[in-house]
Amino acid sequence: MSAETPTSARGAAAAGTKVPGRLRRLLREPMLHFALVGVTLFLVHAWVAPNGATGRRIVVDRGVVEDLAKQYEATWQRPPTARELAGLVETYVHDEVLYREGLAMGLDRDDPLVKRRVRQKVEMLAEDDPSAHEPSEAELSAFLARHAAQFTRPAVYSFRQIYLGEVATREEAERLATAARAELARGRSPAAIARPSLLADQVTAEAADQVARDFGDTFAGELATARPGAWSGPLRSSYGAHLVRVTAVQPASVPPLQEVRTDVAREWARDRRERSVRERYAALRAGYDVVIETGRPTGTL
Amino acid sequence: MKRALWIGMAGAMAAATWLVAQQPAATPAADETPTTLGPAASGGGTTFEDGDIEMPDPAKFHKEPGYSPYAGRRYPERPYFGDEHVHTAWSVDAGGFGTTLGPEEATRFARGEEVVSTSGQPVKLGQPLDWVAVTDHSDGMGIITELKAGNPELLADPTLKKWAEMMKQGPKEATAAVMEIIKGQATKSLPGPMMDPKFAGTVWKRNTAIADKYNEPGRFTAFIGYEWTSNYKGGDNLHRNIIYRDGKDKADQVLPFTTFQSEDPEELWKWMAAWESKTGGKLLAIPHNGNMSNGRMFALTTLGGDPLSRAYADTRRKWEPLYEVIQMKGQSEAHPSVSTTDEFVTNYELWDKGNLTLTGKKPGDLEHEYLRDALVNGLKVEQQVGSNPFKYGMAGGTDTHNSLTAAEEDNFFSKFPVAEPRPDRWNEVVVKNSGQVMKGWEVTAAGYTAVWATGNTRAELWDAMMRRETYATSGPRIVVRFFGGYDFTKADVSRLPAAAGYAKGVPMGADLPAAPKGKAPTFLVAALKDSHGGNLDRIQIIKGWIDAQGKPHQHIYDVVWGDAARRKIVNGRLTPVGNTVNVKNATFVNSIGDPELVTVWKDPHFDPRQRAVYYARVLEIPTPRWTDYDTAYFHVKMDPKVPLTTVERAWTSPIWYGPR
Repeated sequence: MSAETPTSARGAAAAGTKVPGRLRRLLREPMLHFALVGVTLFLVHAWVAPNGATGRRIVVDRGVVEDLAKQYEATWQRPPTARELAGLVETYVHDEVLYREGLAMGLDRDDPLVKRRVRQKVEMLAEDDPSAHEPSEAELSAFLARHAAQFTRPAVYSFRQIYLGEVATREEAERLATAARAELARGRSPAAIARPSLLADQVTAEAADQVARDFGDTFAGELATARPGAWSGPLRSSYGAHLVRVTAVQPASVPPLQEVRTDVAREWARDRRERSVRERYAALRAGYDVVIETGRPTGTL
Repeated sequence: MKRALWIGMAGAMAAATWLVAQQPAATPAADETPTTLGPAASGGGTTFEDGDIEMPDPAKFHKEPGYSPYAGRRYPERPYFGDEHVHTAWSVDAGGFGTTLGPEEATRFARGEEVVSTSGQPVKLGQPLDWVAVTDHSDGMGIITELKAGNPELLADPTLKKWAEMMKQGPKEATAAVMEIIKGQATKSLPGPMMDPKFAGTVWKRNTAIADKYNEPGRFTAFIGYEWTSNYKGGDNLHRNIIYRDGKDKADQVLPFTTFQSEDPEELWKWMAAWESKTGGKLLAIPHNGNMSNGRMFALTTLGGDPLSRAYADTRRKWEPLYEVIQMKGQSEAHPSVSTTDEFVTNYELWDKGNLTLTGKKPGDLEHEYLRDALVNGLKVEQQVGSNPFKYGMAGGTDTHNSLTAAEEDNFFSKFPVAEPRPDRWNEVVVKNSGQVMKGWEVTAAGYTAVWATGNTRAELWDAMMRRETYATSGPRIVVRFFGGYDFTKADVSRLPAAAGYAKGVPMGADLPAAPKGKAPTFLVAALKDSHGGNLDRIQIIKGWIDAQGKPHQHIYDVVWGDAARRKIVNGRLTPVGNTVNVKNATFVNSIGDPELVTVWKDPHFDPRQRAVYYARVLEIPTPRWTDYDTAYFHVKMDPKVPLTTVERAWTSPIWYGPR
């Protein structure tokens, strides 16, 4: 089967070119067709005949017969009878004869179905990287190091917050914050000062992205700049203003491999697969001289 | 002429030859083929005994007394948001309509990763989800992807080959092909390979492998699931999503149930029972789109026409704890023609022109399609036969068919690739049938399910769904607590409603205990707005009950509202919250409404002899609808009938009362 590859590849490369109008009439000439078919037949024959795959000899070997029988059995849940097997073999020969004739006429070219199928096969081959293997610890470590951002665990905060209520302006937030600080200084408890709210007044070991989901992005951003141990604020959340005292911060960090091994292995395999497909295509495309002729404006990719 | 004929024939022969000559690409080893349970695809068949009816008891779940006060805090501390309804390229219709993203991309997107949509646009969720269930149709799962890829085993079938070719010809032909497939399914005339269990087995195993690969206990839950898509009588929607509690090891043992086997939900429940007894695992089913069932979803008879029996009610309740109350094809909470006093369902995301083929409704159909009516009718059936068939909690899903669970109004990628962001998408036809049309603008950007679970794992989320400790939202991540009991007082209106709630009552999804003499049910309800969304307008408690004559009733109570100082109830109606939406720019300001609402409410009309059901509905202030974001982004002018603002909302699972 490998013998048809050169013809298909060239056929595909030629297919993209557009034909000017005057030429088109000429191309409709039956004689020209005939000549072209003849030339093609000759060329194809010359290229592939020595290989035998599209030659005039069809060998139905034991392996083929076994395959036919097995396929039959899978469908009908019993082996074929001798007569049925003869029918299967004859169908195979029938297929093969017309397939070779069709290839010889170049009927596989410009057939979107054929093209798509062959492309898919080639891509599958590219995915089935012969050097594919279970990743080693070293490979995973290297992958983790290279894609550290992807696996970074966000900073983790523990904090207390005093909800000061909804505010319309920055000034209002400042005013409420100043008043609350004064009350704290007088020894009143945070719970007594805070406006009642469903928001947690004490947050223990929560990741920054979760803080952002619970309090809003602005709040999470400002929390990162709050000095641990002291009451900071006013911080602005989606709900209003807050005084915040950060009690513990665990900075963002890349976890050790053993903690994220499954994730890293999954992403490693995915990355490898995608890269393999991409690189092989790039290499193949580089081997082609692509000429695009169009009257339409096209952008760059 | 002769020459043309010869070339044509040769072409056809060559194509056929090529197709036949290929080796099957997707033939799994025979010994690995999963079993099929239930009736054979040809119909008729085996029946299975139901397992023991073992109802979860949410009232008891969180109360395991112990010495340590901290150890007693076993209750869920945060709701986990997810989508129980996602279709990918592996669904027959989605693949047919051009979707190229499969379950892996769908899962990555739900986790918050950026992907490139089928139409080539990069897209990422504003807020990631905590969990997802990819639920491709079990009928012919994966067949379209394989068909388009030219799997020769499938293309050997002339009908499938025809469809494969139509799909390559262009969007119009592809749509026609999908319509033929849907029709073929309805008329039971689909080609053999589409129903071939061998093929389905390969695809199912690939599907479950992806779910397992992305399931990370504690961080992100990927459920195994599928949709059983019963279009009864050629289009009455009886669809159910099946959610697995377990992983690949159990899921792979049996193939998903298809409608080739049966279109009757009772057969599905038998299959679920058989599945559980074979594998030792757990399943639940979530029905959806009663609004397109032409009166069948909550009919008071079985499909066979028999009245609902106690056994039917027990079985349905056992397998179906939740109902999907909103999704892209509209809401199924309540219809304005039945719930005539509910101003918030008038013109709110209604898909009520007919069933899936838009075949019109008969008088009375609308009373058996929406959940609120079913909740009330369920009480009546319970009164008659001693068991409630419609004891549903609330779920929300997208039913997206382009793998993108994008229910955010400002980030809406709609249902099909052709409806992904484009200037004209609002005015294009989405469904056209029986002389009726549904247009792009009518697609709803919704919804999600919030689950009050003790942690983010398959088991914990699934168990919470089973005890109905869930609520649905139209998209926003509103936090809602809802507890019922007899002793809640204003003193329980605190910053920690859960502490009082679990201590003195039962959470959403549960049954109230027997009423102490002289006491009426009280409810503690609290809501916190989405930190990225609009303020809250109000919380309502919706009560349904059956009177002494057996007549169904419903009433909506506004129990707490934002801007309380300036708003009051006039002639039984709360004055509107207002509207800050700038339609031109698709913006709004949270200068009206409140960021959070909490109250205790006591049923003023309680009669201990009457069965009743209560659920809470939380309404946001008006915000821009996705059509408004499109208007602003693409500078298009839409027809005046297109709504540009919406009232986002959340619905809690009900709490039930029954005389003991």
